[in-house]
Amino acid sequence: MNYEWNFAALARFRGLFLQALGTTISLSIAVIITGMALGLLLTMIRRSSIPVLPWVAVGFIEVVRAVPPLVLLVWIYYCMPILLGFGLSNYHTTVLSLSLYSAAFYSEIFRAGAQSIDRGLVEAGLSVGMNRVHILGRIVGPLAFQRVLPPFVSQCILVIKNTSLGGYIAVQDLLYQGQRVTNEIFRPLEVLTTVALIYIALIVPLSVFANIHEKAYRKRYGL
Amino acid sequence: MTPQLPVLAIKGLRKNFGDLQVLGGIDLTVERGEVVGLIGASGSGKSTLLRCINRLETPSDGAIFLGGEMVGGLGPNLSRRLRDQRRQMAMVFQNFNLWPHRTALENVIEGPVVVQKVPRNTAIARGRAMLRKVGLADREAYYPSQLSGGQQQRVAIARALALEPTLLLFDEPTSALDPELVGEVLRVMTDLAAEGRTMIVVTHEMAFAHEVCTKVVYLENGLVRDAGPPGHIFSTANTATAQFLARYLGQKTSDTPGMTL
Repeated sequence: MNYEWNFAALARFRGLFLQALGTTISLSIAVIITGMALGLLLTMIRRSSIPVLPWVAVGFIEVVRAVPPLVLLVWIYYCMPILLGFGLSNYHTTVLSLSLYSAAFYSEIFRAGAQSIDRGLVEAGLSVGMNRVHILGRIVGPLAFQRVLPPFVSQCILVIKNTSLGGYIAVQDLLYQGQRVTNEIFRPLEVLTTVALIYIALIVPLSVFANIHEKAYRKRYGL
Repeated sequence: MTPQLPVLAIKGLRKNFGDLQVLGGIDLTVERGEVVGLIGASGSGKSTLLRCINRLETPSDGAIFLGGEMVGGLGPNLSRRLRDQRRQMAMVFQNFNLWPHRTALENVIEGPVVVQKVPRNTAIARGRAMLRKVGLADREAYYPSQLSGGQQQRVAIARALALEPTLLLFDEPTSALDPELVGEVLRVMTDLAAEGRTMIVVTHEMAFAHEVCTKVVYLENGLVRDAGPPGHIFSTANTATAQFLARYLGQKTSDTPGMTL
């Protein structure tokens, strides 16, 4: 075991890594926001009393969950232009496919949260004259969100890591640029270590925040 | 004086859950200032009747009129009207149902601020007055989990009062409480009755029904078996209720320990 580590060789790619980090972060934020919005929509459709629609939502969730995210990404990348006659940029294809993919999981998380809320709290809302929007926004939403924060954060972490799949269709994220650097300087171990450390630096604070928040929440409401 | 419409009039109310008939045609009128006690064995339909009144359950048949207006009747703005009617029939639940992420005061002002669009400062003043009325002025900043069951139920009563309802509905308000906490809640309810508020109380507290209610309704198998002033219902000569009361008081020999008025 006498591999000679040489991280100094990476120094001149600092700007490139920084740019790639920016891409990874912007991808992550876009996917988390879109995926959450779609997930919330799916949850609401699923819980609505409109006929048929809940089954469409369930079908969508089951299908999307069953497909590996990379397959979904590449499939949308190649099939969307064929089926719809237009395509999106590589970046937006990644946002779209990962949003659809994560929406299925967000939806399940939100549904579990909504189901965990005591029916009596909703009835109390109805009894003071609240409408559905008030009940969702002021009672079920906040309480459910607090309750599902840990799985929610886990899902956000998965989204961040899944953005690395964008590299498969040449989105210049951390992993993709890392591979390009590797091809240039033939130092895959240093590059991958660096990439991994950047992901860790991105994700660990999120977990820490979630833990702190959960404890503070339990303490505040005396739970 | 023009004759007043009854606060609440129930006509031929039926409720089925699937094949099970829970209410088999109830007629009941509640006049202003009346305190109506609903008593009866478990499964007699008391709570379902109360929940049908403010439409947490949808009646299968029959009609309910609040101040002469049909509850959840036909016409435009149905859901908005129903929400306003619910607000006028404030409900106090067996399990309090306070929102755990809101302090006592926030629980009380939520309805006025969000539904009635009362300015926040006005609502806070009103909410504090209500908390004072139930003896919890010093607990306004506490979260429900930091309060005892009896205190939580009193906050729930304050929440109902803050809506300025024309009718208060109580669904077994003391059934979930430890015996030593029953008294404080019943005392608040007794004060409300003395103020002349119109109330319907589903209760197992026979002493409360006897001493505070102006009318007692005895339900059996989803029907009104007998109704009248407490003296009539609790009279030993009343064959309709005698059996129920004998069985009920027999089980509970030390009847209502918390009830000291």
